[in-house]
Amino acid sequence: MAETTFESTPDLLLDHDRVEQGDLQTEELLVNMGPQHPSTHGVLRIVLRTDGEMVLEAEPHIGYLHRCAEKIGESVQPYQYIPYTDRMDYIAGMNNNQAFAIAIERLCGVEVPERAKRIRVIMAELNRIASHLVALGTYGLDMGAFTPFTWCFREREMILDLFEAACGARLTYSYITVGGVHDDLPDGWVERCEEFLDFFEPKIVDYNNLLSFNHIFVKRTATVGVITAEDALAFGLTGAALRATGVRWDLRKVTPYDGYEDYDFDIPIGQDGGIDGVPRGVVTGDCWSRYYVRILEMTQSVRIMRQALKRLEEGPIEAKKVKGIKLPADEVYVEIENPRGQLGFYVQGDGSAIPARVKARGPSFCNLAITSHTCRDILLADVPAIIGSLDVVLGEVDR
Amino acid sequence: MSLLVLLTASSAFGAPSDATGAAAPGSVLEAVLFYIVAGGVVVSALGVCIAQNIVRMAVWLFTALASVAVMYFLLAANFIGAIQLIVYAGGTLILLVFGVMLTSKSPWIRFEAPKLELVAATVVCVGLFLSLCTLLGRAAWESVDEATAGTSIATIGRALITEYLVPFEMAGVVLMIVMVGAAHMARQEK
Amino acid sequence: MSQFAVPWREKPEPSHGFVSSFIVALAKGIYAIATPIVTRFPGSILLSAVVASCFLVWAHALLFSYVDTAVLERAAEVGAANPNAFGYFSPSTWGLPPSVIGTLLAGDAAVEGQSPGLLSYLLWPVQFGFTRDMIAFGAIFAWFNIVPVYVIWWERKVAGRIQSRLGPMRVGGWHGWAQSPADGIKLVLKEDFIPDAADSILFRAAPYFAIIPSALAFVALPFGVTYIFREVDVALVFILAMLGIEVMSVILGGWASNNKWSVYGGMREACQMVAYEIPMGMALLVPVVCVGSLSLKYIGEVQADGWFSWLAFRNPFAFVAFVTYFIASLASCKRAPFDLPEAESELVAGFLTEYSGFRWALFFFAEYAAMFVVGGLATIMFLGGWNSPIPSDWGAGLGESIWAKGLKGILFSGPIWFILKCVFFLFLQLWVRWTLPRIRLDQVLYACVQVLLPLTMVLLFGTTLWVWASESGNATWDVIASIVSKVLGIVGLAFGFGFVAIAGYGFYHRRRLVGNLVIDPLPGS
Repeated sequence: MAETTFESTPDLLLDHDRVEQGDLQTEELLVNMGPQHPSTHGVLRIVLRTDGEMVLEAEPHIGYLHRCAEKIGESVQPYQYIPYTDRMDYIAGMNNNQAFAIAIERLCGVEVPERAKRIRVIMAELNRIASHLVALGTYGLDMGAFTPFTWCFREREMILDLFEAACGARLTYSYITVGGVHDDLPDGWVERCEEFLDFFEPKIVDYNNLLSFNHIFVKRTATVGVITAEDALAFGLTGAALRATGVRWDLRKVTPYDGYEDYDFDIPIGQDGGIDGVPRGVVTGDCWSRYYVRILEMTQSVRIMRQALKRLEEGPIEAKKVKGIKLPADEVYVEIENPRGQLGFYVQGDGSAIPARVKARGPSFCNLAITSHTCRDILLADVPAIIGSLDVVLGEVDR
Repeated sequence: MSLLVLLTASSAFGAPSDATGAAAPGSVLEAVLFYIVAGGVVVSALGVCIAQNIVRMAVWLFTALASVAVMYFLLAANFIGAIQLIVYAGGTLILLVFGVMLTSKSPWIRFEAPKLELVAATVVCVGLFLSLCTLLGRAAWESVDEATAGTSIATIGRALITEYLVPFEMAGVVLMIVMVGAAHMARQEK
Repeated sequence: MSQFAVPWREKPEPSHGFVSSFIVALAKGIYAIATPIVTRFPGSILLSAVVASCFLVWAHALLFSYVDTAVLERAAEVGAANPNAFGYFSPSTWGLPPSVIGTLLAGDAAVEGQSPGLLSYLLWPVQFGFTRDMIAFGAIFAWFNIVPVYVIWWERKVAGRIQSRLGPMRVGGWHGWAQSPADGIKLVLKEDFIPDAADSILFRAAPYFAIIPSALAFVALPFGVTYIFREVDVALVFILAMLGIEVMSVILGGWASNNKWSVYGGMREACQMVAYEIPMGMALLVPVVCVGSLSLKYIGEVQADGWFSWLAFRNPFAFVAFVTYFIASLASCKRAPFDLPEAESELVAGFLTEYSGFRWALFFFAEYAAMFVVGGLATIMFLGGWNSPIPSDWGAGLGESIWAKGLKGILFSGPIWFILKCVFFLFLQLWVRWTLPRIRLDQVLYACVQVLLPLTMVLLFGTTLWVWASESGNATWDVIASIVSKVLGIVGLAFGFGFVAIAGYGFYHRRRLVGNLVIDPLPGS
């Protein structure tokens, strides 16, 4: 039997003065949660300093999935770089494609055709629903409920079928390219998409009945991991995590892109429990609010898509002469609303066809930063609750 | 393995036609089982003393308590045996292990007694052993007939609230005091 | 052999011993023979298996009682009349020789000089308790093995249906009926792995602390009036003790693994079990107070007068205690929503993290067997045990012939009813598991100490008053009590029908969950 001492792993110590061999008052344990752990959603490693079931401190360690995604952008042409953006946030490939495409279009002044814009919106919202479905399903899994996961994935499969019909890929689409979209929609796609929306909307009620308003689930998530609006702004939180704190901030409304200004939709925000069907005990900015904002956003996405499908007209789907376009010696920074938050791309051109610098601002990366702030003096079971409610994708955090 | 255990259990509870639910007293099987189980008690008790690892001590203690429970079953004192298992093996001992896990710096710690304590413990043990031996030698052993051995729980219950009411209530009060004290101590920590 | 040199020491290719090869060959053979047959006639095989096992059990009971009445009791009569009738052989020590049995069967008072028939030789071993024990042991052991294997398969099917998928479908053909045995064989043949830093002795011992108590619980669990391995006068306490000891395995396994997640799992189990044993035991005391006995056989026997005599419907306190007991029993079996010791999303796999292969399988056997035992306790203590909802005195007109007894064993009371009710409880446990999220540790303890414990105390006190009032013999009270009992019975009936209706509705609408979007190919694409 090996004698285990904590001194043998000094790099894990978060606060040296509190974990000492001679200290008999605090019986603290350093636990590695991840990189191989069922609820870290990939290869996140969180070092927990625990006292029994209490987690005193949690420190996320990232970088296990680093693939030099930004550096690659400096050696390939923009349209060649689109597939790499898929692999950042692999749950929401369409939105990543869109962000980079818009950045290059703004830099080069490319005008995107109307039909392409509509298709982009449809695809982005479909992918937002797919991404939120993954978030909800895995959040149920984090809470120990297995069934919501398969129910959500059942509907996500249909969205992936739609994507597959449009672009041939089910995960890494590379569908939205610089200047438009890669292919036109196949025959019957619009009708099928409408059929899906009709099928999908009642399912949201099912999710609510199964998970959202489940008493145990509300007890597990309400008032857990509360983030105030000030903290959220100070840490640069975006997306559902920010809106759950009561800040009505959505780039689709604030700085519309790809024609989002034409659509009529609301921005759901988190609110205290007791009104509007929100269960009692819920506090603005807790895990339940973050979860429920995603549910509400799916409804809004359906609304946007219905409008976009109605306004879809025949026309070109791609701007002309964008392959091999020379980037001007200028710089641009564009942020769009990704399912997880604000995804920004900074691109600097130097007159050649290859960017001089590409930099991404990932919403998961920024949202993850608040982990160690929120995961203080909580129970061990709350750590997956908080991490899951932030909905991070490690492919994008590590890039 | 489980065959052996089931056989032991079946012998302990006696043949189905047996009204008292015990093996026939004085039978060979009962004697053999008694010596096996008694040996188990002795070995486990020694294990508690000899083991250096605190959780292994607890396991030895568990087997000792469980063997004593089996002895109760052999004596047809089913209720006492079952209660022994619930209270000591299933409750107290688990709390003990739980406490060890919670309070020790590292659960993999080894327990070594200082020499002085060893000597003192040996003296006390030898003294106790000798006095026990004298007691055993002097005691007048009367054999209990079967009817009283297999007391039904109704009898136990009546006895507890009539004849032995005062000690029963005293035990309750003592436990209450312990609970209040524990709650008080747990509260002070915050 | 790999053609590349690897920097670590390569383990030699394991050579399979005779036993392993034999198991594999046997399993393959059975599988090859059984699969086409089962795939062809699943329903008839299932039905005939149930009928055959019922018949087998019934035939044994009949045989035992026949030997008891026709041989042993008669021998006692003869022995009482003439102490020297059997000479050297006395029924109490060495049993009756076949010749004596033949004489007794022939009904002849003169014992000596009869030549025993074949029947006498066949009946000879049955007179010994040991033989009967062996038969009963075989039955219990088989049941103890069948329950986990097929409940695991069933759980996967139920989970699949709830999650709008199919569950195991391949192994063995018909609905993956051979999935669990195949998994079992795989687990047995897996590498025997113990972490280097683990306390290897305790690590090896821990699964046995789980499997032995859960097997021993079957010793005292009655399946019917006569279908008890050992009738223990404190059977209830004994089974509770066995369920309580099982905790030790989790704690030891968690600790011995030398893994922090495992230790967490062990500590959670210790917390949860020590806490929930109390409300569970107190909830079970409510029917005990109603009946006045700890003997499960006796408790089952007093509920023989049909649905309204079942203890859950005797008084309102017992009805609530039934629900309380069910919740506490979930915690005691570490089933969801109380599956904190192995909480996957929090503790990787809790105390099971380092376990694999056979030891892991033992833990699962113990868990599913304990689920059955807990369901059996609920059945006996609250839902009439082995009695059917039909009052047993309705069958008084059937007479006492063998066939009437058999019919009564199916219609009014018998192991089949007990097993059906246990299966109902198992299904409830599965249903709950695949629907609800997991509770947090502080909420588990809060629910126990602040909700269930005071509630069960009130229930115990209330039922004591109720029993006291009932025994006072007040006529008005008796009328009120019987009305309350009827109302409770009807509520219970409504619950039962509601359960069946919901399950049936879900089963009937199972295909609609998938929708046609996935299946239809896109036109024109």
